Amino acid sequence: MFSDPRGPYLGEAEVKRTAGRFPFYWTRAMYSGGGFRRGSWAVDFPKSDQQFLIVIKRLVRLNAYDWENPVGLWDPDLRKFPLIYMLEVGGMYLTDEEVVGLRGYMEAGGFVIVDDFWGGRQWDNFLWNMRRVFPDRTIVDIDLDHPVYSAYYNIDEVIQVPAIGNTYRTAECAGCYPQVKGMYDDDGRLMMMINFNTDLGDAWEWAEQPSYPLEYSTYAYQLGANMIVYAMSH
Amino acid sequence: MQGIFEFLFKYRPLVFEQGEFAFAAPLSVRTWLIVVGLIAAGAVATYTIARGKSSVVDRGVMAALRVGLLAVLVFCLMQPALTLSTVVPQQNFVGILMDDSRSMQLADEDGTVRSSFFAEQFTRGESPLIQALSERFVLRFFRFSDVARRVDGLEEMTFDGTHTNIANALDVARGELSGVPLSGLVVVTDGADTGERPLTEAIVPLQAAGVPVFTVGLGDETLEPDIELGRVELPRTALQGSTLMVDVVVTQSGFSRGSTVPVIVEDDTRILAEESVELGPAGEPVVTRIGIELQEPGARRVRFRIPGQPGERVERNNARNAWIDVVGESEKILYFEGEPRWEVKFMRRAVADDENLQLVLLQRTAESKFLRLEVSDSTELEFGFPTTRQELYRYRALVIGSVEASFFTFDQLQMIADFVSERGGGLLFLGGLSSFAEGGWAGTPVEEVMPVILGPPAGEEGYFSEIDVTPTPAGFAHPAVQLDAEPADLRTRWEALPPLTVVNPINAVRPGATVLLTGSRSEGGEQIVLSYQRYGRGTSIALTAQDTWLWQMHSDVTLEDQSHESFWKQMLRWLVDGVPNPVLAVAGEEEVEPGESVELTASVRDSTFLDVNDATVTATVTSPSGLVEEVPLEWTVEEDGQYAAPFRPLELGDYEIQINAQRQEASLGTDVTYLHSAPSDREFFGAARRTQLLRRIADDTGGQFYTRDNVATLPEDITISGAGVTLVDELDLWDMPALFLLMLLLMGAEWGYRRIRGLV
Repeated sequence: MFSDPRGPYLGEAEVKRTAGRFPFYWTRAMYSGGGFRRGSWAVDFPKSDQQFLIVIKRLVRLNAYDWENPVGLWDPDLRKFPLIYMLEVGGMYLTDEEVVGLRGYMEAGGFVIVDDFWGGRQWDNFLWNMRRVFPDRTIVDIDLDHPVYSAYYNIDEVIQVPAIGNTYRTAECAGCYPQVKGMYDDDGRLMMMINFNTDLGDAWEWAEQPSYPLEYSTYAYQLGANMIVYAMSH
Repeated sequence: MQGIFEFLFKYRPLVFEQGEFAFAAPLSVRTWLIVVGLIAAGAVATYTIARGKSSVVDRGVMAALRVGLLAVLVFCLMQPALTLSTVVPQQNFVGILMDDSRSMQLADEDGTVRSSFFAEQFTRGESPLIQALSERFVLRFFRFSDVARRVDGLEEMTFDGTHTNIANALDVARGELSGVPLSGLVVVTDGADTGERPLTEAIVPLQAAGVPVFTVGLGDETLEPDIELGRVELPRTALQGSTLMVDVVVTQSGFSRGSTVPVIVEDDTRILAEESVELGPAGEPVVTRIGIELQEPGARRVRFRIPGQPGERVERNNARNAWIDVVGESEKILYFEGEPRWEVKFMRRAVADDENLQLVLLQRTAESKFLRLEVSDSTELEFGFPTTRQELYRYRALVIGSVEASFFTFDQLQMIADFVSERGGGLLFLGGLSSFAEGGWAGTPVEEVMPVILGPPAGEEGYFSEIDVTPTPAGFAHPAVQLDAEPADLRTRWEALPPLTVVNPINAVRPGATVLLTGSRSEGGEQIVLSYQRYGRGTSIALTAQDTWLWQMHSDVTLEDQSHESFWKQMLRWLVDGVPNPVLAVAGEEEVEPGESVELTASVRDSTFLDVNDATVTATVTSPSGLVEEVPLEWTVEEDGQYAAPFRPLELGDYEIQINAQRQEASLGTDVTYLHSAPSDREFFGAARRTQLLRRIADDTGGQFYTRDNVATLPEDITISGAGVTLVDELDLWDMPALFLLMLLLMGAEWGYRRIRGLV
């Protein structure tokens, strides 16, 4: 009989109330936009989060809560979780409250991982939202000599990670090549790591599928481990 | 009172104390008793036989009075006397020790300068005191301050000595007069002793030799009105940018309690701080804590002073100086963390702009995989946590995060304990899932280093509680938890900080440990949050909260709030504060007069902080004018690793003393200390007459204490002290006026009784 090695699921309210029981919570940012029901924030949710935690805990000595942890950008409790994962931002439409929440979060020291948006239109939409958050900050490339690529694994190239249904051609738009960009604070500290034209979340979610190429899931987990170790130490 | 006693009993009380009572009449006591008995029996018989108006009571009273009168008469006939050993004139010596220190320049309340006593009393041919002494004794005069020496006359007195070393003076006088019959030593001083030797060391040989010391106290017992700035203690070194909390002790007399005076702290170039101090009750020291920021690197003399107050008797005791070396270098701290945790990120961020702290991170990210940050080179910590003392002792402090004790070998655990006790490093334990009892640290060599007492570990479910953190009274006064707040705002600032969480239930500290922060648990009860203790040469600190990063991230904390940054800067600076180098140079005193000797000492240890006794230790002394002098230091033998040599500065100004230690051509290290050569005000601190001390010296040696008012009896008192070449002298007591008055009283009483009772 299969026995789930994961700890108990505590529920959103209990997690916020007792944040601190675990040193790490894989926290997904909830934001407005991208759909009429749950919105684009919830793409791959919660399987991607759960599977990511199972694997990452076997790779890294990470004492993490075993379950998903969605928290709204507007929620003051967001500050209890210094790392958030935000995906499908190509369709996001931040409310003013969310703009303020995200700005305060990043200025206080929170780290944001952005993933899974493709092409110029989605980029423009994301950029428009970020300019509302930080009108004067620029987004720049994160080159391969950046410490994030060697924080845990040594990564020497940026790979385009495809969605589950797109492994044969990887790119979801013509001419889209994978880019890793970032936003820094006034002291040169990386606040946001933007994985553009790539879909790490799908690789985490579908790593167990034989049809999903191991090359991509391996890379996605490696980069995931690096981002977490880097964010928790820098 | 003494005059009445002397009138009635012929002699002063001291004569009775020194002498032995005896009857000088030739017949034995038994014979006299028989005579007295027969006379008394005759008297009683006459009253018994007599007949008349008198009653039995009347006859009894009158018989008793008559017998009393006869008894006094017989007492006189027995020739009572005091037997005394008195010195043979001009056969004995007396040493007169005269205080030649600067405090003798002070004037009493009536305007009399203390030093005037010598001219008044010791000018030959003019003073009855010196005449009386000269007639009885051969006198030898000594002057004393920091050193003592024989003098021929008062003209050699300068009253400019920088110390009052009474013990040394007694030793010198005893030594010089050891070959002659000595009747006593007379010490004339205000008693404001500034010597470091215990007086007992000088008194015991005098007691053994039977030499009484007669002390003459000069000066007022209290100097009013006066303010004295007492002890000020600064660390030898401090990191650039540190805020030091310095305790300043202020004592007053003659000013109203509760009034305020300013304390100004300044160096050569600027005022560092100014604080108002509320004066306490007269004579009671008040401790005030003053914060000073040290922004510029380099050694400097910091001056603490209180401006002279209106009418103040002594203004030269209103200032204190202290050297401090503000170090601009970066102090290396090793932070070992057992798992990825947010404390790492936020602690590093908090101190990132502090150029004086190098926080080297070694973080275990997998079972045998480590993240190294801020290392000096690629080989540093490349195999994980240090396995040798040389490797670990390179760091001045160690932070141990959430890591189980079983990660370390036994040798590494012992090394961590030795890091504090032998190396003198700072060790900070952080709370976490694998910290304290929950990390299996109980029973390890490191457990006793911890300032907290470990209880049983939390069970399978673990422990979790939210805590509101508050400084204790000790915390409010401690530099590590001052945040960046003004003292008046400190409590408010702490109250405004969001709660933290703990996973290690700790509610007790070891005896001797100090608690700086406590926390109220959400379920009730108190959590020890921040505590520390001295352990061997170093300090160990326990911070049981696991997420101080909430003071940075929490939504209740504004972006402008620097509490988290300040907390960690102050914590880590405290952690490296006072951590010794292998070679430690110390000048016995930081401020001396030109020509005055000071002892240079050095503690020498090797890279594993073991004492070294076979080193070649040299002090390179650079004078204010740039002259360089090499002074070799010798091993003291009394203590391992301790070297010393005397040095005498001759110029006015600042001396730099660099001490180098070598063993077999290999350098063990260097250290620098400083010395200021200038006229000293030391004598003006505690300059009131110390009657208790002077009385103790006299009492312990069989001498007497005098003031200006009663010093006239000194010659006679020495005469009967019994010391030196003496002869036995008998002093008659039969003719004491008291006996004559007693006889008159008894006769008058009998006559009066008869008149009252109508028996005349």
